Amino acid sequence: MRTGLQFAINESNKRLAVRNNWQPKLGDKFVRRSRIKAHPLRRVLGIPGLFSAGYGNVGSSIYYALGIVTLVAMGGTPIALAVAGLFFIFTALTYAEGTAMFPEAGGSASFARHGFNDWVGFISGWALMLSYIVTIAISAFVIPPYLGHFWPLLKESATISTAVSMGIIFFLMVINVIGVRETSFVNVAAAVFDLLVQILIIALGLLVIFNFDVLVNNITFYWPSLENLILGIALAAIAYTGVETMSQMAEETKRPAIRVPRALILMIIIVLILFGGVSTVGLSAMTPQELATNWATDPVAGIAFSISSAITPQEIASKFASQTEIVIILTWIFNGLRSLLPGLVAVLAASILFIATNAGLMGISRLAFSLGRYQLIPPALGRVHHRFKTPYISIILFAGVALAILIPGFFAPGVFLELGALYAFGSLFSFFLAHAAIINLRVRNPDLPRPFKLGGNIKFKQRELPITAILGLIGTAVIWMVVIFTQPYSRWVGLSWMAIGLALYLLFRWRRRLPLGQTASKPASPLWKQK
Amino acid sequence: MRLSRILVAASGIGVDEEAIKLACDLAKKSKAEVYVVYVIEVKRSLPLDAVIESEIEKAEKVLTRAEDIAADRDYEVETDLIQAREAGPAIVDEAMERDVDLILMGLSYKKRFGAFSLGRAIPHVLEEAPCRVLLLRETKS
Repeated sequence: MRTGLQFAINESNKRLAVRNNWQPKLGDKFVRRSRIKAHPLRRVLGIPGLFSAGYGNVGSSIYYALGIVTLVAMGGTPIALAVAGLFFIFTALTYAEGTAMFPEAGGSASFARHGFNDWVGFISGWALMLSYIVTIAISAFVIPPYLGHFWPLLKESATISTAVSMGIIFFLMVINVIGVRETSFVNVAAAVFDLLVQILIIALGLLVIFNFDVLVNNITFYWPSLENLILGIALAAIAYTGVETMSQMAEETKRPAIRVPRALILMIIIVLILFGGVSTVGLSAMTPQELATNWATDPVAGIAFSISSAITPQEIASKFASQTEIVIILTWIFNGLRSLLPGLVAVLAASILFIATNAGLMGISRLAFSLGRYQLIPPALGRVHHRFKTPYISIILFAGVALAILIPGFFAPGVFLELGALYAFGSLFSFFLAHAAIINLRVRNPDLPRPFKLGGNIKFKQRELPITAILGLIGTAVIWMVVIFTQPYSRWVGLSWMAIGLALYLLFRWRRRLPLGQTASKPASPLWKQK
Repeated sequence: MRLSRILVAASGIGVDEEAIKLACDLAKKSKAEVYVVYVIEVKRSLPLDAVIESEIEKAEKVLTRAEDIAADRDYEVETDLIQAREAGPAIVDEAMERDVDLILMGLSYKKRFGAFSLGRAIPHVLEEAPCRVLLLRETKS
């Protein structure tokens, strides 16, 4: 059969061969043997597909991150987002080096497993799972407030809002178990449309409501305490969820060593521009106080509402043209934008958040499957339904946890902020381990091929250590500690989650008689087809 | 039309058998190589390299049957099993990689919402394939 194919054997396929009564004998062609044991996988994603997958998450987080951060950082919101953005750059660069080295599903869990051992890999993967679950919960939680534009009770009633959010998760759980087809085209189209609308909002905001003096006043007058500013930076990490998603998709990317780093860098640039623009427009449109009280769960709707109220079609049109005909056309366009913008934002936000909730559910089931393959969690979690061909156990289990953490939404108004902090707990911890793993790999295995190697290194005992990873390591550690000390809900829920996970891991490894730290088994290397 | 490489996209439907026979007959004249591929579509809630035993088992049966049919025709085919998110792009990719002159696909007679449907993979292959594409629809009955 094919030359150059890696010889990959996995246990399931071996069993399958036996079941099919296949026995090699003299004179047999080895066609079927090669086929059964080494079927290739098709990498199809290019930079646009990869970017849209990552942006799908980042783009959705814009719809709630600004509100969460403003709740604590108030006037310091742009600074919190900027500092978090800096750590985001460091983290994205670390992911670029790690993903180019190990283009496989798992993200930081994969780096930690390679960089340290199974034990650390599990801790990172389990923390990552928490952030995935919270992403599912929080994305669903803010859909009803956006749809409140059409039916205000969805925004005003905590009971209705939470019930609808839980209904959305339940619905997505069912369709994911059944396994409804989803094409990448929908994701790409949604990402492009979302990007265009956000650019439109920023452009209109800068044109209609931006006022430098108001912005400076809103920042200085509502400047937060240092503790709140640091917490705001921690919460702002929620704005940058796409880095992990992109890394998870590495295994489906053509020439991942080159394309993943490029897609990550493209995402860094676009996301920083968007967040800079949205936060600037947001704090020009209203005071942080107003944003945090009236529009915390749907900040972009608040911005769209402010822009819509501030648009004076004829006045703006006459700024651009003097000819009567053109002024009439421009007036008509701005009139249309004024009446359509809030509704458009509501529909778009709800759609993007719905896609993000679904992406979170699929992402966590894929991650669970990957961890199960390396025997970091019981492989039963990745069991595939015989009829629907979906990992139904992990989908039901993790959707169930996401539903459970939304229950306080019925009676605790602050659950939105708590969810943000809980996300920070999980994601910062896994980012911290990603930085640590990349640094450790530089020390332990300096000659490992690194298709994308971070520049700006310092020499330490003959080893090159990347400064960005070191800064990222320190930054994420400090911010994570702040979350632990200042946020009791995140502290206890997060630590309980980790404790449960560790207990499961120890029990599972002990029952299987597997070493706790060392790599227990190597799954069959997949055969990637590459042009 | 001189053919040197033919790709048959099998999907486990009845008409596959006729498609493979047709491919062998077409190939015989110019001693072309025949590849038969089966694509397992993996849902996005699973990693692409997930082992779905029931699907692999089904694919193996289809491909083994393809080899047997070709052997009956006194011809040899090469078979391959691919995992991908969507069958259409995977078939086109495979055709490009193998530089085939013809893609041969079987098609069952299906109606969707009252209208005749080609499914999802075939329109993609018809649109994107760099080579000729031959569709073989099963009889209406």
